[in-house]
Amino acid sequence: MSIVFFCISRLLQLVPVLLGITVVAFLLLRVMPGDPATLMLGSRGTPEDIAALTTQLGLDRPLWVQYLFFLGDIARGSFGRSIAYKAEIGPLLVARLWPTLALVGLSTVIAVIVTVPLAMYTAVRRGSLVDHAVKFFFVAAMSMPAFWLGVLLVLLLAIVFPIFPVSGYGDTLPAHLHHLALPAFIIALGTCALTIRSLRSAIIAVLGADYVDTARAKGLPERAVLWRHVFRNSLMSTISVLAVHTSWVIGGTVVIETVFGIPGLGSLLVASISARDYPMVQGLTVTFAVLVVIINLLADIGYALVDPRVSLS
Amino acid sequence: MSKSFRTGSAVKTGFIGALLLSSALVAQAHAATFRLGVASDALTVDPIASSDNPSIWTELLIYDQLVRPSKDGTKLEPGIAESWTVSPDGKEFRFKLRDAKFSDGAPVTAADVAFSLKRAAGDKSEWGRFFRPITSYEVVDDHNIVMKLDKPFTPILNNLAMFSASILPQKLVEAQGAAFFEHPVGSGPFVLKSWSRGQKQELVKNPNYWEKGKPSLDAASIEVVPEDNSRVLKLKAGELDAIIGVPFNQAESLKSDPNVQVSVAPVFRIDLVQLNTTKAPFDNLAVRQALNYALDKDAIIKGILRGNAKPATSSIPVMAYHNTELKPYPLDLAKAKELLKQGGVPNGFKTSMLVSAGDVTARQVASAIQASLKKIGVEVELQTIEGSSQFSTTKSGNFQMSLSYATSDTIDPDQLVGFTAVNPERANAFHTQWKSEKLNELYAQERTTLDGPERGKQFKEIEALTHEGAPFIFLYAPSQPYASRKTVSGFEVLPTSNYSLKDVVLK
Repeated sequence: MSIVFFCISRLLQLVPVLLGITVVAFLLLRVMPGDPATLMLGSRGTPEDIAALTTQLGLDRPLWVQYLFFLGDIARGSFGRSIAYKAEIGPLLVARLWPTLALVGLSTVIAVIVTVPLAMYTAVRRGSLVDHAVKFFFVAAMSMPAFWLGVLLVLLLAIVFPIFPVSGYGDTLPAHLHHLALPAFIIALGTCALTIRSLRSAIIAVLGADYVDTARAKGLPERAVLWRHVFRNSLMSTISVLAVHTSWVIGGTVVIETVFGIPGLGSLLVASISARDYPMVQGLTVTFAVLVVIINLLADIGYALVDPRVSLS
Repeated sequence: MSKSFRTGSAVKTGFIGALLLSSALVAQAHAATFRLGVASDALTVDPIASSDNPSIWTELLIYDQLVRPSKDGTKLEPGIAESWTVSPDGKEFRFKLRDAKFSDGAPVTAADVAFSLKRAAGDKSEWGRFFRPITSYEVVDDHNIVMKLDKPFTPILNNLAMFSASILPQKLVEAQGAAFFEHPVGSGPFVLKSWSRGQKQELVKNPNYWEKGKPSLDAASIEVVPEDNSRVLKLKAGELDAIIGVPFNQAESLKSDPNVQVSVAPVFRIDLVQLNTTKAPFDNLAVRQALNYALDKDAIIKGILRGNAKPATSSIPVMAYHNTELKPYPLDLAKAKELLKQGGVPNGFKTSMLVSAGDVTARQVASAIQASLKKIGVEVELQTIEGSSQFSTTKSGNFQMSLSYATSDTIDPDQLVGFTAVNPERANAFHTQWKSEKLNELYAQERTTLDGPERGKQFKEIEALTHEGAPFIFLYAPSQPYASRKTVSGFEVLPTSNYSLKDVVLK
């Protein structure tokens, strides 16, 4: 019950944040040089054509009127019509939302699966050859630009050994997973570099705590000591790191989406900015903001589940 | 020993398993469909609301127009109109329609033609100005229509070959409104079956298409692969049958792939440097000519475009009525310095040039221009600018030099002349503000002169005036490399940059 109440109150807190974000997104777009009508007509339009199209798009109204119309659209649960696509934004956006969520979700799952055993092993056997190897590997992976690593892996795993498709998204669920495996793995590498380090040092710190000695002294098997006591108590900081990084990944998938031709939100955002598709960019900004808040909310719930001292209020 | 062997074989088994799985998945997707890779998705298939190339290209596959450009881009050939006549005064056009059907089986009638063209000329159309010279439509019967103009306007016939003049079924569009374009019906060779935004458009053959035996494909999918490298790799891996937009530096290496064939399309495009003639020293003709003499165009074409371009003589590429007597400005540094002296800047000057960000070829060409102009003492600072901002920046006149290009939607030079050479018309001579009263006069004449040698002479003179006036540094007219697998025949990118699929055969 308290979780439901907590979620509702957090979502309510979101409203002023979103208002702020809409103002910034709205104004930034208008400050940028270039306007949709000129871009659409380009070489073909006379000044009169451009003026007529500007009026038709409603962009000749005062800024504050346009802003109020935008808020009105949101209040009605829609983002209005896209200038470039000439269609309702809602369905366009939802269609692009799933590939991005699938990509981010899959990469997070991969990151967690890789992080937990490696962090535990390297913390317990710190200073070992494996510890150094893991550290070296992930620093190297993190230092490589994602697009470059992406192209390299495609060359290896799609051309030389054709296991994965070069790019695309597929039509069915197995095909989606097959197409998303490589890009998700590349994103996960970057995440792992952060989470392994964070979880490893947290585990090392907890290993020195008195209650760990107590647990050992009362004769618990080492496995139980490590997983029930040490691991659970080490998770807090890593959850934060994972949440912050995942929020960043959501906005930053554009490079990977472009390299792998995934029809997600990132590529839509870049295309919409180029076309000065104001309503679409506004809609996307709000969507990104909501996603980031939801991830932080999940992280808060995660804290409460891991640590009974944290209460959701 | 035995342990490591087990691990090895486990890895191997997993590897082979993955291989089988992936080939099964790939095979499933491949079912006699022609798969074309393009860089960006269409935005809409409403012909009067499109201005981006991917939308236009899809429209040209699913709709027909009265007339259409021939494949080599030199003349107009019959489309939905089987034949047509133009009255001697150029004010009356009679079209006779063929027996064609829309993909739903309904006949294409003269009423549909009148409806579609009135719609294209209407208030909601982004292309109204192209069709408003037609002042009346007279539907004689189902197969005959007469259009009248108040005064002659020669480019109209070419405008009728544009995507925006696509013939739509009146009944369906009127009944469905905007929803029509979610499941559009046309009389072109293909039908848009489904569209996953940002991912692909799936086309199937129009069983009612009027050209006998075409298209030979049952289906085609146009897949969005934004990244140049990925597109090339997907072609090599056999995940695509053809791709357009092959980067110049990859065209060479693709040629060495035994499964791939590379071709180049001579598209109507001209690359040039806009000079802001309202700013000193670009207001001086001698200085503008000096810049043209200082550039080694052949070296740029050879080094950066790998030979895929022709040096430009003016702001019009080689198309109908081209002036073959003009020669490109040659590289002549002595003459360039002499002209700078005449222009009052004997020691050169400092200036800046806008370059579109993210366009690799443009960046390389800009550096080459910078190096060339340095030899006559002109120091150019390169200013990288986002592609969408470049047009509005030059339009507002807030620039000195800008590296850009222009393309044509029609095979008639009227469009590019109006855009790059006439001031004010549409763009104040592509934002250079250069003005030649003589040229403006010729433009007005050309638009009312019937097609023929007389009109050709006017265009040739327009080109000569532009060449002489040098409001640009004329660079080159590039060709566009594209590639397909050897199992494909008949795939072609046309001079108007769109591609034809109706002659494609998959082996």
